Amino acid sequence: MAWKSARRGQEEAPWAQGAASGPRGAFTDGIVHVFWLSGMSCDGCSVSALGASWPSVEGLVAGNIPFLPKVVLHHPMLADDIGRDFVEPFARAAEGRLGAPYVMVVEGSIPDDQTLERSGQFAALGVGADWPRSLPSSRGPDQPLRTSDWIWALAPGAAASIAIGTCATWGGIPAAAGNITGSMGLMDYLGRDYRSSKGVPIINVPGCAPVGDNFTETLSHVLQYLEGIGPLPEFDELGRPAWQFEQTVHRHCPKAGYYEEGVFAEEPGDSQCLVEIGCWGPVVQCNIVERGAINHMGGCMVAGGACIGCTMPGFPDKYSPFYKSPPGSAISGGVSKVYGSGIRRLRRMSMKTGNSEPLWDNAHEVPTGWGLAREPKQEPLDKANVFFYKKLQYNGSVHHGKRNKKQPLPGSRDILRQKGVDLEASVPVLGENLRPREEI
Amino acid sequence: MSATRAAEDVRQKDFDPVTRVAGALSFQTSVDIERGQVLDASALATLFRGYEVILEGRDPRDAIFVSSRADGVSGGAHPTASALALEMAFGIQPPPMGIVVRNLMSALECLYDHPTSLFTRIGPDFSEPVVRETNPELWERALRTAAPGRGTHGFELIADVMTALTRFSGRLYTEALYRGRRAREAYVVVGGKYPHPQTLAPGGVSATIDIADMNVILGRVNEFFDYAQKVVAVWDDIVDFFLEADPRFREVGAGPMNFIDLGQWDDPYAYDGTFQTASAWAARRWSTPGAIVGGRLRTTDVQQVNMGVEEFVDHSFYENWTSQGARLRTDPSGNPLSAHHPSNKETIPQPGQTDPARKYSWCTAPRWDRQPMETGAHARLWMTALGNKLPHRSFMEPTGHSLRLTMPRASLPETVLEWRAPRHWGALERNRAHAYAFAQAALVAYESMLIGLDLMRRGGPDAGVFTHYKIPKDLRHGTGFWGAARGYLSHHLTIEDQVIQSYQILGPSTFTMSPRDGSGHPGPCEAAVVATPLLSTANRERCVDVLRAIRSFNPSMACATH
Repeated sequence: MAWKSARRGQEEAPWAQGAASGPRGAFTDGIVHVFWLSGMSCDGCSVSALGASWPSVEGLVAGNIPFLPKVVLHHPMLADDIGRDFVEPFARAAEGRLGAPYVMVVEGSIPDDQTLERSGQFAALGVGADWPRSLPSSRGPDQPLRTSDWIWALAPGAAASIAIGTCATWGGIPAAAGNITGSMGLMDYLGRDYRSSKGVPIINVPGCAPVGDNFTETLSHVLQYLEGIGPLPEFDELGRPAWQFEQTVHRHCPKAGYYEEGVFAEEPGDSQCLVEIGCWGPVVQCNIVERGAINHMGGCMVAGGACIGCTMPGFPDKYSPFYKSPPGSAISGGVSKVYGSGIRRLRRMSMKTGNSEPLWDNAHEVPTGWGLAREPKQEPLDKANVFFYKKLQYNGSVHHGKRNKKQPLPGSRDILRQKGVDLEASVPVLGENLRPREEI
Repeated sequence: MSATRAAEDVRQKDFDPVTRVAGALSFQTSVDIERGQVLDASALATLFRGYEVILEGRDPRDAIFVSSRADGVSGGAHPTASALALEMAFGIQPPPMGIVVRNLMSALECLYDHPTSLFTRIGPDFSEPVVRETNPELWERALRTAAPGRGTHGFELIADVMTALTRFSGRLYTEALYRGRRAREAYVVVGGKYPHPQTLAPGGVSATIDIADMNVILGRVNEFFDYAQKVVAVWDDIVDFFLEADPRFREVGAGPMNFIDLGQWDDPYAYDGTFQTASAWAARRWSTPGAIVGGRLRTTDVQQVNMGVEEFVDHSFYENWTSQGARLRTDPSGNPLSAHHPSNKETIPQPGQTDPARKYSWCTAPRWDRQPMETGAHARLWMTALGNKLPHRSFMEPTGHSLRLTMPRASLPETVLEWRAPRHWGALERNRAHAYAFAQAALVAYESMLIGLDLMRRGGPDAGVFTHYKIPKDLRHGTGFWGAARGYLSHHLTIEDQVIQSYQILGPSTFTMSPRDGSGHPGPCEAAVVATPLLSTANRERCVDVLRAIRSFNPSMACATH
């Protein structure tokens, strides 16, 4: 590969050099067309993109986002034009007659339907009569035009080509074992030597369906680059936005703390770490638990869903059967159980003393009506434990609690009682009816 | 074609692609622009991915998350139908809370889907720019017509409503995007993500839902009571305005009132995941299953609905699979099954030239009792209203000819919305019903919240969300009777030796966007397009009424062809 990543390869990467010229590198004239092509897609990526807020699709189209060009969106699910009127700009762009730069977005994998020769297609847009005349065609005037034809026609002239979703990036489920359409990702279809008209390889925003903001954010950075406002952001070796996909999803998972303490969900619905019910999070590159699925809400493991690796090349086959624990978890999970059980005990010991006001320690009593047992007098072992813990905690600093050792017990209650206020109303002790809280 | 018609009047008009529907749909029609008639129409589904074949030979546990990806527009309906099919095959049932959470997810999905369809796909056909371009006299009239629903939706004139429906810039358009996101925020709290939620499992859900999650969802569901009233008022006003201005608008997208639905939203104490008792538990759903032919209720028994379904591929890019006869001659209750029944179907693709006289669509032609059937959000209203079987009447009251929906007080006062089964059925009434179905979904979401919170506070086994299962080794069949936001959805699966032997999906848009069947009967949308008069007084070439007819079916083509 000519460069490993934008950051490491900045010197020789042509786009980075172009951007170094700053705003003078702008070539958009404030308008960029976006052609949305659907291959073997479920439209879920479109649904995802419409859910994005930062920026939103309607914001990009309205052109009211500072520093971003206005987007002229050619998307079948949103367009006003139909039939030939809708397809005609695609043909003009393919012939280089659009008069404005364009970005090609591909949703869904690309079927191997060129092998069908003259008969049939697996994914289509428009009919043969709408095909640009200067380009070779194998379709009759009334035959549906293959999406795979549009892709090769539009790719070379595109200022950038973005694959959205795991189907378009790596192949996804239409390319899984047992498929009969020969489907593949955009990189497989266009090949490793593909560069856009601005010299950019294919940009991949995976996920099934992807986080909508991952896509619109990437698109907006590409548009900024086309506007000449900044360099391309960093992409990894597979063309993923590095800042979105460089970490494993486990690192930001709200359940990773359970893993650390070696406690695991035994079945779906349990709140602990989901590895043993089939979560691949520790080895999957994704940001959904950190970013949320939409407007910072949700995210698979946040809601209790095990990660099935839907952002990864090889999904689904390399991550199935689902709801079965990944083989690697037997070792790492086993180690974590041993190590975690020790850590967990030590932490609970700290919490035993930590979960109490100094006042309660002094009075040997917890003034709760919720049924916590009265603290027994501390055992010598506990006392020793607290002594050494405090030693370490305040080492190199000051133990201010120690200076206030003679702090008096509050006396207001006694005075009120003398005034005749009944503070010990005769209520049944709630605690006798409560079970002690299960160990956390 | 009449002999007196001059050949030059008739022309081929291709809607290739039909935009502002979900997925790859084309229509090839011949129209007489001069006389305003559509003479012939063929619906082309141009996408095929082979999900049913990919699912064969896999571990049954893969079915939920793989079949989910068949359709991202009904992005939570397929995995639920798949979970139901697996439960039937495994012989398990989820605890009540697991069922309630599934209902809640499905209702929240509708709260996203209905306004998105009504305002980003269907609405712009009734917006200012389109009406001014195609029917300037209607725009003039709209400028003089006060909007009856202004107290609810806040628009003074019908013209103001039309302006608000404008694509991308209209207030109703952008509000629908915003509300859709709010509903999805609630959805992902339990589903993890949308589309393709990550928390559905055979035997319930894996959602770790707690009081805080419920509170987040409740806060968002509450927003939808006012909004649903507003949406209903907007569509009541638009539909009534067009029908009063020109009664011929009721012919746009007209249909014979054939409806089919499997019902949706299970009673947590009735659903047990077995086929033999399905008639009983499906009758207790929040929307009643059934079939209506010619406006008359034929059945509300889910088994009767199921056994009457057949799929034909005479005009579809598949080989007929029935030469070997039926694999299953009866369903588990002993009802006879046709060789064309989905649980007997095999997917044998046969890509080829598109020729409306021969094969032209990747969509099969499903029929019930050999009749083309519509399904959709509106079918839920029809079935629940006419069936009058609904056991849960806290907020909904069917009457046999209408459905009363009691919207709780929010900013707007408590209001009873009543949807009445119309006497003429077409695109406009389809849209009106779609709006009422949105209000229905808000009430189901709310009632599911109340039941869920109650279960959660009481605790115990009923508050569990999951039932342990073992994958059986012997031969098992399972059927998932469910519904997407746009109606009828069934998954049919056979497992043996812990491997999927066959998997079949029948979605709502397969029914509505179907091509002709073996007897030459057109699909429901094809027939509706042919029934549509072109009523534009200007720029009739645009054929906006044809588009209104197609879009009122709210198709999702990824759902139609897997």
